[in-house]
Amino acid sequence: MNPLLSVRNLFVRFGETLAVDDVSFDLPKGGALGIVGESGSGKSVTCRALMKLLPTTALAKGEINFDGQDILGASEATLNTLRGKRIAMIFQSPASHLDPLMRIGDQVAETLRKHTDLKGRAIHQEVLRLLDVVRIPEPERWAQAYPHQLSGGMKQRAMIAGALACKPDLLLADEPTTALDATVQKSVLDLLVDLRKSQGLSMIFVSHDLGAVARVCEDVIVMRKSRVVETGKTREVIDAPQHEYTQMLIASHPDRLTLHTPQPVPQATPLIEARGMQIRYGGGGLIDILTKRAGGFLAVKGADFTVQPGETLGIVGESGSGKSTMARALVGLVKPAAGEILFEGAPAKPLGRNRAAYLRDVQLVYQHPYEALSPRMRIRDAIAEPLRRHKLCPAQEVPARVADLMAQVDLDPTLGDRLPAQLSGGQCQRVAIARALAMDPRVLIADEVTSALDVTLQAQVMDLLIRLQKERGLTMIFISHDLAVIRRLCNSVIVMRRGEIVEAGPTGQVFDDPAQEYTRTLIDAIPRLEAAHP
Amino acid sequence: MKLSPMFVCGATLVAVWSLIALAAPLLATHDPYAIDFEALLAPPSADHWFGSDNVGRDTYSRVIYGSRLALYIGLLGVIAPMIIGMTIGLLAGYFGGWVDTIAMRVLDITVPFPFFVLVLSIVAVLGPGIENYFIALALVGWVGYARLARAEAIVLRSSEFVLAARTMGFSHPYILFRHVLPNAMSPVVVYMMTDVTLVILFGAALGFLGMGVSPPAAEWGVMIAEGQIYISSAWWISFFPGLAMVLIGVGFALMGDGLAKMLRIER
Repeated sequence: MNPLLSVRNLFVRFGETLAVDDVSFDLPKGGALGIVGESGSGKSVTCRALMKLLPTTALAKGEINFDGQDILGASEATLNTLRGKRIAMIFQSPASHLDPLMRIGDQVAETLRKHTDLKGRAIHQEVLRLLDVVRIPEPERWAQAYPHQLSGGMKQRAMIAGALACKPDLLLADEPTTALDATVQKSVLDLLVDLRKSQGLSMIFVSHDLGAVARVCEDVIVMRKSRVVETGKTREVIDAPQHEYTQMLIASHPDRLTLHTPQPVPQATPLIEARGMQIRYGGGGLIDILTKRAGGFLAVKGADFTVQPGETLGIVGESGSGKSTMARALVGLVKPAAGEILFEGAPAKPLGRNRAAYLRDVQLVYQHPYEALSPRMRIRDAIAEPLRRHKLCPAQEVPARVADLMAQVDLDPTLGDRLPAQLSGGQCQRVAIARALAMDPRVLIADEVTSALDVTLQAQVMDLLIRLQKERGLTMIFISHDLAVIRRLCNSVIVMRRGEIVEAGPTGQVFDDPAQEYTRTLIDAIPRLEAAHP
Repeated sequence: MKLSPMFVCGATLVAVWSLIALAAPLLATHDPYAIDFEALLAPPSADHWFGSDNVGRDTYSRVIYGSRLALYIGLLGVIAPMIIGMTIGLLAGYFGGWVDTIAMRVLDITVPFPFFVLVLSIVAVLGPGIENYFIALALVGWVGYARLARAEAIVLRSSEFVLAARTMGFSHPYILFRHVLPNAMSPVVVYMMTDVTLVILFGAALGFLGMGVSPPAAEWGVMIAEGQIYISSAWWISFFPGLAMVLIGVGFALMGDGLAKMLRIER
């Protein structure tokens, strides 16, 4: 039988750089192929080339054959009869691909009107059916909603519904679940698996997450630096990776990392203690004062927790659960509306006049490696800044201290003269950590530090944090939406949901025997390599 | 940083004008104020390269000397508005709250009036002269800078590197000066370049209307005004100062556009 899609020796070139270097694969009818790789590996470009949706600066060579039709040689007119109709595509950020001023139902109807013969009432019926297929509850009601009224997962479903409108043969999914929370990600992946069965859909699934690909696809190709390094059955590739890079990729998957659980050090006074901490955003406006209400939005609704010296506390939760807000309150970026923070048993004042003294002990590292560094400040100066500003060491010793700090976070000393934009994400994150360490803190709060990084870098940064903790006896608060990362790093864990702590306890206990249903759903949603498609 | 060709063109033009202004006594063929009744309204010739005006003053020498006034007005005229605007804009954007509210309401009052109408009415009240033009510019011109600086500061104040500086325990003035200002600078510098052109043009317009530099000064606006009644018979009196103004304006505008490209941080 002829494959539905066959790609032979595909090259895509952007000026001097080769983005796709000799890629070939076949996709049988009804099959699903995963393309896995890190950022810049050429996986998305490959995916876009299949629909010839490349920028004009790109030069594509090779052969792409879709059901007997040559794609690269086809005219725009021919391509437009295929795009949307026989090959549909969904993207990473549904928000930017939905028209904000158009109702969900109308967006789906638009494709139907353009590509099918359906009219009037029939279109409406079909829209409702499609919304039902992608498991949007109460299709009648949600069809009337505008994109901003939908959650991220719902938007992605609506986009899938639009993609399915013309009953395509092939669905191209470019990182469709990357921007979603774990539980939502799981539900969208389940939906894709379901659609393959019920609609007989063929699929190409591009992702950096081998775990997500494993859930949906039986075949996988692994790309690195524009080339295919390994292809095969997903199951076999995961069980017995042949290429060195694939082995590293799998070894870096949070699922495969060895657990690291140092023994907690119970002591009489906890290092940090929060009592009934409430944080409110907004409020205090004229109307709030007149009606004597607090107003605004309660982001954290009364949190109590303690951090023992030397332990690593994990805070997990989905986006909007208030976990980052809580961290920011600990370093005085937001002011709690109620409650108190104790540091070594004494009230901590991260906002007061002497906040510099407190902040020397408690430091925060941010999520986005590029944004956390001043773009016009050289790396060396960025690391030296806290030393100079707070006179942490004599001026003539600053260069030596900076070199020492760079060595501690495994940064090449020659990088000192560069600007942040000239470094990779992982390197920037090391600089940010080095800067925090310059203050010689006792507590390091890491706010989603690994989320923006590729898995291999993620593993490296985690190793670094574990090593630093051992060497310096650091206490850490590690905030993440990624339970696999938390499990690897933390002694105890707090699970947050909608501003409340729903569960807290030692990591092992919470993961193996969660007391709350919500915690269980979170744990089940971790993309696992073991859950690979048979 | 790679030099953009646009910047090189603009900078060359501006550099040439600066040299002309500096070397005016060497370049001029006549005394710009010397009246010569032998050569009234003389057309361009070997003796008077750009011709002469109704009292026989050499247009070429007057255009050369006029570049001194133009650059003086253009460069000095943007300094006060920029400093005032940047300060107000950065403070308003960075701190927000009532500082922002007050600054923005003042700005709202200023914005609806056409820029030149406001400058003109302030000069009219204070009396003609360059000093009063500078005062008017400071009172009105800061608005553009303040808006730009405020927009940048609002984005920067919630950026992670500013938050990181906060969590390092640095003070607000230090963060504003060391982290916010350098990163808010580039659009302001670009705007300043176009503003120089505008200030030169409006300065000349005031001269033309008799409210800026007063005759007989060798100022391009004044020269254009003096030539306007002879425009059909002795076009050179107004034409050459006009051409000079275009060339200096294009120079600054190109420099601004080129700078905008160069100041962008590329990944």
